[in-house]
This record gives sequence, C-alpha cells and structure tokens, in this order.
Amino acid sequence: MMVETPETRSPSLRSKMKIDDLNVYYGAFHAIKRANLDVPDRRVMALIGPSGCGKSTFIRALNRMHDLTPGARVTGTVTLDGNDIYAQGVDPVTVRHRIGMVFQRPNPFPKSIFENVVYGPKIHGEHNGKRLQEICEKSLHAAALWDEVKDRLNRSALDLSGGQQQRLCIARVLAVEPEVILMDEPASALDPIATSKIEDLIGELKKDYTVVIVTHSMQQAARISDFTTFFLLGDLIEVGTTSDIFTRPTDKRTEDYITGRYG
Amino acid sequence: MARAILATPTVESLRSNNARSRRIVDKIATAALWGAASTIVLMLILFVVYLFVQGYSAISWHFLTGYPSAANAGGGVGPEIFNSFYILFLTLCFTLPIAVLAGVFIQEYAGPGRFRDMVEFSAESLATVPSIVMGLFGLIVFVQLFHWHFTALGGALTLTLLNLPAMMRVTQQALASVPQTYREASMGLGATKWQTVLRAILPSAIGPLTTGVVLVSGRIFGETAALIFTAGASVSYGASAYDFNPFHTAETLAVHLYSTHREALVPDADQIANGSALVLLVMVLVFNVVARVLGRQLTVRLTGKA
Repeated sequence: MMVETPETRSPSLRSKMKIDDLNVYYGAFHAIKRANLDVPDRRVMALIGPSGCGKSTFIRALNRMHDLTPGARVTGTVTLDGNDIYAQGVDPVTVRHRIGMVFQRPNPFPKSIFENVVYGPKIHGEHNGKRLQEICEKSLHAAALWDEVKDRLNRSALDLSGGQQQRLCIARVLAVEPEVILMDEPASALDPIATSKIEDLIGELKKDYTVVIVTHSMQQAARISDFTTFFLLGDLIEVGTTSDIFTRPTDKRTEDYITGRYG
Repeated sequence: MARAILATPTVESLRSNNARSRRIVDKIATAALWGAASTIVLMLILFVVYLFVQGYSAISWHFLTGYPSAANAGGGVGPEIFNSFYILFLTLCFTLPIAVLAGVFIQEYAGPGRFRDMVEFSAESLATVPSIVMGLFGLIVFVQLFHWHFTALGGALTLTLLNLPAMMRVTQQALASVPQTYREASMGLGATKWQTVLRAILPSAIGPLTTGVVLVSGRIFGETAALIFTAGASVSYGASAYDFNPFHTAETLAVHLYSTHREALVPDADQIANGSALVLLVMVLVFNVVARVLGRQLTVRLTGKA
C-alpha cells in the first residue's frame, strides 16, 4: 500500500537517512508495514501517532536496536549517508556509535555523573584523563546541564532529578559524537518544566545533529519539529513539514488524528 | 439495634460483626508473622550464647595459634584456622571465575536452546549431589587416581565442584536483577556485548554478587563431609603453622571439630571441640560483616552512590 508517493517523501533537503520498504515483525506480528521515509539532515523529524501505532518500533529500527529483541525481524533498507546499515558485514556496534539513542525513561548507569558521560568515549578507546574531562564538560554544556552539576561530577547520577537525568542521558549520547540522535518519547516521564528544558535543548541540537523524535504529544511535535510523520496501525500514513501536517494534512486519517478523533 | 438498621442500613452493614472478626483475624495474623520472624532472631541469639558459654573457657592465645595435640591435653587449632581460610581462598579462586563466566553466558549470551538446557541441567544435577558423595568422588579422583593423597588442593577442587552450581545460580540472579534499560543504554552508545557485560552489567550487580559470594563462602567454611577424605583430618607439621603448600594435608576447623568429637585420644576433647565451634562461629560472623562492608564500599566506588 505504501508506494512511494510525494506525500511519503519529505521535501527537498539533503537526506541524512533514507528508509525504504522497511518491515518489522515481532514473531508473526507485522508491526511496521513497508515504510518509506527520508530523514533530512540537521532537522528535527517528529514521529506521531496513537499508542501502539509502531512509532517506537520504527525508531528502534533506525539504529538496529531490534537486534537485541529476541523474535524481532527487520527487512528493507535503512541508509545513513547512502550506506545500508542492515547490509551484510555492517557492525551494529558501529551503527549505534553514529546513530545514538535517548530512551523514554531516563536510564543513567548507577555510576557517577562523570562516569556516565565518558562511558561511550571510554568504550571507544579514549583513556586520556584530561581528554575525557574535556569531553565531559563539552557534552554537559551541550546538554544544558553543566551549570547544575559542575560541582558534583563525582556524585551518583541517580541523585539527579528525572529531568536532569534525561539531560545527562543526552549528554552521554553527545559524548560519542553521533551524527543522528534518536529520541523515543524523551520527555514523557518528565514534568512540564523539565520537558520545556528538553525541548529547548532539542532546538539547539538540530544545529549540529539530525534528530528523530517519537512523541505522543502533538503540541510537542508542533513546537519542536520541522517535519512530522504520522503512523497508524503499523502504516506510515503521511509525512510533511510540520506546519503542513498540522494545517493541511492530505490524508483523511491524519486529519482525524490531528483533530482529536483518535485516542 | 433494629431501629438503627432501619434508619441507616448501609452504614450499619459496614459496621457488622463480620468486620470485627476480620479485625481479630488480622491481628492474629500480624502476631503470627511477627512471632515467626522473631523466632529466627531468638534462635540465633540462643545459639550464639550457648556456644559462648560452652566454648569461651577454651579460648586462649595458645589455643588459637598452637598445634593440635595427638594425645596430651592443651592442643591448639592454629593450623586449622589457617587451613580453613586457605582452602576457602583456593576454592574461590576456582569457583568464582568459572561460575561467574558460566552465569554470564547463561543469562546474557545463550538464547533458549539445547546447550543452555544442558548447562542448566548439569548445574541442577551437581547441586543435588550430597557433599559426602562429592567427598568420595574427590577421594577417588584426587587422592587415589592422581596420587596426591590428602591435600589442600584436592579439598579445594572438591569444594569447587560442590559450590559451582550455587555460585552460578547466584550470578544469574544478580544479572537478572540489573534493569534491561542499562543494557539498552550501553548498546545504544555503541558498546559491544562484552563491554556491556563488563562495564555496565557486572558493576551494577556487584551488591547481590557480593552477598552471593558471602553465602557460598559460609558454606565452604563450614563444609566437613567433602573434606574429610580429600583434604584430610590431620595437619602438616612443618616449620610454621601456616603451610601454603597446596599439596600438603590440610585439616580445616570444621573437620577438626568433627574429628575431635569422633576419634580424639586427648583428654580435653570436649573442650577443644567447644572452643573450635566457637572460633568457627565467630570467624563466619566476622567474615560475613567484613564481606558486607567490602561489598558496600565496592558498590559506592563502582556506582558513585553514597
């Protein structure tokens, strides 16, 4: 059904990632059905849709996180700068190095703030203490957390508030210098103030990174994204600039969802 | 009463006798639960007090450091104390790496399948072997087949067989207690599976792992049946009471307690046995406390949690 039509391709910008004929199965369940999408470089792409529509399943296919789920199967191609990340011989570890992920619930390691941020650089072979400190400071600055934690880098990350933990998780991803950052409802467990800090941060991040974000809040998608993709029951229904999707959706189902006729 | 029921039937039904009897049952249940829990504490106290009363007169510097005596009164348990620790150390050296690696494999690597079933089945079978049978196995293999005779090493290897399954189970459970989100976070940052295990999962599991090591160590410390025929029921009389040669016979404190009760010729056997029991108990308790403190400090260091 999802043939390549103008509506399912985002406009004219350089594409960072291209998804073609993507299918995801959990056992016999067909969770994502032949999705096609271009992710523009250094923009924010929001994925919206009702619960269970497959938006989280879709985003997890973009850095091969399904490799970790027993019984999950992915077909189709996902390219990053033209290279298929599912091609034979591609190391999922390298893929996840270049395409980072921030999860729904803040999930810092039970380590110090410093150790959390430098976890990535360390596993990728950076052991120079001075260099690690620089990376730590730079990443925490970029995640708008430095001023709040600079005096207690050696304290446990678990002592931070939920919003701070989530920004720490973003700093942790930034520290490995990815090109794309995937966010799976990063603010859904946070209060409004923490949420608005994360949203401001996403606005900053798109200067240097390509951001794909799953959100259950249409208002959030409208506030922070340049492009919006609408999913329903495993189908990618429509993609367009965020203003188009919210004001002139071409598909009846998108319009029904935007106007509140779905959950 | 009848008037009240007519006036406000619903409120009255909430105040029925039924509610009162249920409150009484609730109180009885609370008391029973509290009593059962207290019994455990009381039993430990009684046990410790009894051993103290029985054994404290036997304790002296000479008793704690001296050699045991074959026929005269006044023998000590110095080498036995050392051997208990030495065999514990040797056993942990073999048990920990194998059990932890096997546990990691089962929990993190092996998908459901025949090999995993085989490992789990083997572990469960090993776990049900009585220690005396394991002791006889050690006797046949290490003492007779290898011609080692009674040795600390033979005893330690026998204890390794005995405790591998428990330690592997402990590792599995400790790893299972680590939230899935840590694995996702680590893999999401581009870590390999092994890096994830080594840097994210094992450090997060250090608390339950330490507890497991303490429990297993307690068992090793008190084990008797598996050691009588493998490490032997006598000590080596070398230059010092502390004999590090793993190929020498090495009676532990628990075995000494058994053998003095069973076959000693010394006139003060009862007193020596009581003293040994007390020392054994105190050592296990001290070991417990030290291991817990150590575990907490490790947790603080590895997790930054104050």
